[in-house]
Amino acid sequence: MGLGLRWYHFALWAGFILVMALMPEFVSKGTLRTMIFANFLAIFAISWDVLSGRTGYISFGHPFLIGIGAYTTAILTKRFDVPVEYAIPAAIAMTMVGGTIMFLPALRIKGSYFALVSLAFMELIYQLVQVIRPDLTGGTRGMSGIVTLTRGAANGYYLSFSLMIIVALSMWLLMRTRLGTALSAIAMNEESVKGSGLSPTKLKLFAFMTSAFVAGLGGAFYVHYLGSIAPRALFDINFVFTIIVATLIGGASTIVGPMFGAFFLTFLLEYLRPFLPGAERYLIYGAIALLLYMYQPKGLYHIFMSQLDRFKKSGDDD
Amino acid sequence: MTKPLSIKNLVKNFGGLTATDDISFDLNEGQSTGLIGPNGAGKTTIFSQIMGEYRQTSGTIELYGTEISKLSTPARIRLGVSRTYQVPRPFAEFTVLENVRVGLMPDSIWKMITESPNVDREIELALSVGFSESDLRRTPDELSMGDLRKLEMARTMATNPRIMLLDEVFAGLTVGEIDQIAKLIQKMRSENMTFLIVSHDLKALEPLVDDAIAINYGKVIAQGSFASVISDKAVRTSYLGT
Amino acid sequence: MLEIIIQGVLLSGLYALIAVGFTLIFSVGRVLNLAYGAYIMVAGYIYFYFSQLLGLPPIAGLLLAGILGACMGLLKYNLIVKPLKADHIAVEISTLILAVVLQSAVILCFGNSAKILLPIIPGVIHIGNATVTYNVLVATIASWLILIGLYLFIKRTHVGRAMMAVSMDTKGASISGVDIDKINMITWGISGFLGAIAGVFFASYTQLSPTMWVAPLIIAIAIVIVGGIGSIIGTLVVAHIIGFMEIISVALISPQLRGVFTMLLIILVLVIRPKGLFGREEL
Repeated sequence: MGLGLRWYHFALWAGFILVMALMPEFVSKGTLRTMIFANFLAIFAISWDVLSGRTGYISFGHPFLIGIGAYTTAILTKRFDVPVEYAIPAAIAMTMVGGTIMFLPALRIKGSYFALVSLAFMELIYQLVQVIRPDLTGGTRGMSGIVTLTRGAANGYYLSFSLMIIVALSMWLLMRTRLGTALSAIAMNEESVKGSGLSPTKLKLFAFMTSAFVAGLGGAFYVHYLGSIAPRALFDINFVFTIIVATLIGGASTIVGPMFGAFFLTFLLEYLRPFLPGAERYLIYGAIALLLYMYQPKGLYHIFMSQLDRFKKSGDDD
Repeated sequence: MTKPLSIKNLVKNFGGLTATDDISFDLNEGQSTGLIGPNGAGKTTIFSQIMGEYRQTSGTIELYGTEISKLSTPARIRLGVSRTYQVPRPFAEFTVLENVRVGLMPDSIWKMITESPNVDREIELALSVGFSESDLRRTPDELSMGDLRKLEMARTMATNPRIMLLDEVFAGLTVGEIDQIAKLIQKMRSENMTFLIVSHDLKALEPLVDDAIAINYGKVIAQGSFASVISDKAVRTSYLGT
Repeated sequence: MLEIIIQGVLLSGLYALIAVGFTLIFSVGRVLNLAYGAYIMVAGYIYFYFSQLLGLPPIAGLLLAGILGACMGLLKYNLIVKPLKADHIAVEISTLILAVVLQSAVILCFGNSAKILLPIIPGVIHIGNATVTYNVLVATIASWLILIGLYLFIKRTHVGRAMMAVSMDTKGASISGVDIDKINMITWGISGFLGAIAGVFFASYTQLSPTMWVAPLIIAIAIVIVGGIGSIIGTLVVAHIIGFMEIISVALISPQLRGVFTMLLIILVLVIRPKGLFGREEL
C-alpha cells in the first residue's frame, strides 16, 4: 500500500492511545467531560479536513452534515423507537446523501463561491428544521430526552475516544496512500489533475462521501451522548468557526493536526473559564487563532515538523 | 490499419470568432508531425479539442478508430493521448517526484488506495527528461522555466500515452536543455511513439518531425513533408506577413 | 397589497444599504469580507454608546459610528487583507475568525443581552392602513441618497473611475498608473463607513445583540452573489428582489420561511449562473 510507515509512527500512536486510555484513572470527572467534547470536536475537525483541508473546497456549512446525522438518529430513536444500532447507520447513510447534495454545486463552482453555497446550505437547513414537520424535529426548541448510550463520564470518554481514534487512524492511513496525494492535487490545480488522466469528479465525490460519513458518525454519537439537540446551537456560525479553527491551528490536510487542534482549543477554552466565565473567552481564543493563522497558516503541525527537521539537521551536522 | 489520430472537418466557433475552420488531418503510427503557424492560428485550440478541454462545434476526432467527441479528458488520456501545456501547470506544493506520481496514478480510487506508488518508475521518468537526482525533492517554486517544461513533459509521459501532443516544449529553454528534450523525443520516436509537436523554433523542430501541417486563420494552408511545407509560398507569407 | 409594497420598498432600501459596502469590496478587492456583518453590529453598538449612554445627538452618534467604521475598515485592510493578499480563502477564513472575535469583544463590553435602540427619528406616519415609522422611512431615504451618491462618485470622480478600473482588471489598472494599494484603502474606508451607517439603521430596525451580525452578512452575501460583481444597479435590483421575496413570504406563506427562499435563491444562482444575474465576470 505504500504508506511509508516507520517504527516511530507505531510508537507514537501506541503511546498516544495508551496515555489517553489511562486518562480516566488520573483526571477529574470534569476534565473527562471536557475531553469528551474534545473527542467529538476532533471527529468533526477531521471530517472537515478530509474535505476542505485536502481538496480546497472550503465548507463553511459543515454543521449541515453533522446536523443531518444528529437529527436523523434523534428522530428515528425518539419518534419511531428505532433501536440505536439501526438508527445510527441510517443516520450515517442520510448524511452521505446530504454529502452528495452538497457535492452537486462543487461540480460547477469552487473557491469563495463554493464556501458561500455551503454556508447557505447550513442556513437553509437551520430554517427548514424549525418549520417543516416540527412534530418530528421539535421545531425551534429542538428535542430532549434522546436515548444516551453511556452512563458516567468514564464510559462516555471511552466511547468517544474509541470513535475518535478509529476515525483518526483510518483517515490518517487513508490520506497517506496515493488517494491523499490525488486529493491534495485537486486543491492545487484541478485542471492538471484532469490533464494527468484522473477524474476530479470521482475524487471530489469520494472526498465529500468520506467527509459526510465521518460527520454523520460524529453527529449521531454526539446527539446520543448529549441526549438533546437544539437547532440554534448546532447550525451556528460559532460552531463552524470552532471546527475550522481547530483544523487550521492544528494544521490543515494532516489529520493529526486537527485532532490535536481540537484538544488544544477545548483545553484553552477550559483554562480560560475561571478568568473569563462567559462567551468572552472566544475573544482570547479567536485572537490566538487569528494571530497563529496569520503567522503560520499551515498550523502547529507544520511548526512542530519544521522544528523537528531543524533538530534532525543539526544532529546530522555534528 | 486504424490511424492513431484522425481529425475530420473540425470547426470551433467562439462566439463570432472561428478558431478552427474545417481542419482535417491524420497521424500515422510512429509518425512525428510538426504543427506550425503564426500566433493565434489555432494550434493550441486544436490540442484542446483533441483533449476534450473544448468541445468542437462540429467535426469528428477519432483515436485508434474510436470517436472520442463525447469522452471526458481523463477517458481520452486512458485511450492513449496526452498533451503538455505551453504554460506549465505543475502542482505547486508537490515535489518533482510527487508531480510525476499524479501522472502515474490509475483513475481508480480503489487502486490508488491499495497499490503502492511506483517510486522507481517516478525516478526513471524524472531522470529521463533531464532532472538530476538532487532536483527530485524540489518544489516548482525552486525550478526554472526549463525545469517546469521538463516536469510537464515527465508528467505527460507518466500517463503512458501512445500519442503525445507537445505544445511549445522548447520555449524558454537553454540550448543544452533543448538538446536534452530533443534526444528524449528521438528516443521515443525510435520506440514508435506518435507525436504532434507545436513549436515556433523551426530549426529545433526540423530534425524531430517527418511531416508538417501549417495552419493560419484556423485553416490548413499546407501539408506534407517538413521541407515542402516550410518552402510553401503561403506558409512563408503567413510567417513573414508579406 | 399596499402594505406589502410599502413594507417591501422599505425593507429593500435597508437591504441595499447593507449590501452596498460589501459589494464594493467584493468588486474592487475581489475578496469576501466575512467580518462585514460584525462591522454592522459594532457600528450599532458604537451608536448606542454615544447617543444612548453618553447622550450625544443622534446625528453625531451616526457620524461617529461611520468614522470609526471607516477606521476599522482601514485597519483590517492593512493588518489582515494586505498580508494575505494572494489568498482569497485565507482572507475569508481570517475575516470569519475576526467576526467571532468582534462578537466576543462586544459581549465583554456590553454584555450578552439584547438592547433596544431608540429610534433615530421618533414618530410614525400612516399610509393607507400601513403604519410606517419615521425611523425606517429615514433609513430608506438615506439608503437611496447614499446609493445615488455612490453611483455618482464612481461614475464622475477620478477616484471612482479608478475603482471601477481596478475592479475590472487589476493588472491593467496597475499598468495604467493606478495606485492599487491606495484605491483598496479608499474602498475599505468607504465600505467601513457605509457598513457602519447601515449598521445603525439595521440595529434600530431590529435590535442590538452580539449575534445580530449573521443575518445582515447573509443578506449582503445573497445580494452580491445574486447581483454579481461590480454592479451598484445590480445590488439595488437584487436588494428589492430579496426584500420583496421576504415580505411576501412572511405575509402570504409563513413568517418562519422568511429566509428559506433567500437561501434557495443563493444556491440556485450560484449553481446555474455563478457570475450573478447582473455580473460582469467570474471570480
